[in-house]
Amino acid sequence: MEEVFVNIGEIKVLAQEGRLVAIGLGSCVGLILYDELAKIGGMAHVFLPTNRKGGANQHPGKFADTAVSAMVEQMAAMGAQKRRLKAKMAGGSQLFSYGASVMDVGRQNVEALQRELQAAGIPLVASDVLGSRGRKLIFDVGTGQVLVFVIGQEPVEL
Amino acid sequence: MTYESDFKLDVLKELGNIGAGHATTALSTLLGNKKLTLVVPEAMIVGMQESMSLCGGPESLVGAIYIRVSGGLCGHMALLLPYESVQSLLGYLLGAAPQELRDMELSTLQEVGNIVVTSYLNALAEMTNTQLFPSVPAVAVDMAAAVWSSILAGAEVADYITIVQTGFQTDAEIIDGTIAFIPDEEDLAKLLGALGMGEL
Repeated sequence: MEEVFVNIGEIKVLAQEGRLVAIGLGSCVGLILYDELAKIGGMAHVFLPTNRKGGANQHPGKFADTAVSAMVEQMAAMGAQKRRLKAKMAGGSQLFSYGASVMDVGRQNVEALQRELQAAGIPLVASDVLGSRGRKLIFDVGTGQVLVFVIGQEPVEL
Repeated sequence: MTYESDFKLDVLKELGNIGAGHATTALSTLLGNKKLTLVVPEAMIVGMQESMSLCGGPESLVGAIYIRVSGGLCGHMALLLPYESVQSLLGYLLGAAPQELRDMELSTLQEVGNIVVTSYLNALAEMTNTQLFPSVPAVAVDMAAAVWSSILAGAEVADYITIVQTGFQTDAEIIDGTIAFIPDEEDLAKLLGALGMGEL
């Protein structure tokens, strides 16, 4: 089966079959959109809530406020219906402890994506977010199965 | 690679060399004068994805100590240690390699990072004649890619990142690691300007 890695800032969309994989989700969030009927699924590996520092942005998947609409557009081009889309997400953790100065980017990412999904009218049906552990996310587009892996723990189905 | 960026990287490499030299000496002292070999530092401008391989395989377990640097040259410093090195290091400092990392182990790791990174910063401050202030060190033990990308997200880096990286290793036990410094681009330009290289 085709396995497609979704690196930071990327959006990947598959139809009918194949697995979308995001590894090393710390403060990053893996966002999944799925049109179950058309079997079209996408994954974005979101890095930051917004492009605060400005500058050219060639990767809409990098920021929460551009990832959702860009992914919806890519999926629609392949035949997905926006009104049928459902969302799942994992990540947004705060791995570092003790340091007072480490900003909680993970939480900001999660909250920004929740807002974007709500604005787009896409229901968020499941999520495994926040906490202090890194995650790996695997989405089987053929079956719709989503698995979340954490080091030293059994995978959890989302 | 342009002439200017070659020059910038040469300067950074030299700063990294001296900074890491001090950091390694501090770590060596902490480890009862164990001999530590410094791997020749590298300064590079890399894509975010490329930088992921700095600390081994993306899913390998690492310990990381992160310090935000403010002052004349703002930036981000991290000490990244493969998990085996975390174990050897803690084993040496605490008397026995821990089965599990609890508060005691994590705060020891935090202190190791503090000593190593502040030694690096002292050398850097002296060379560039600036004042540098380290934050309280933050600690994480998790998948390498998750840890590193969280550092990059905190730094809000752009698509390409300037990194000064140095490795060190011991002869006997397995203690090796990477010290990474990500200077903020604006401050870096100012610093190079002050050193007479900004307008090249």
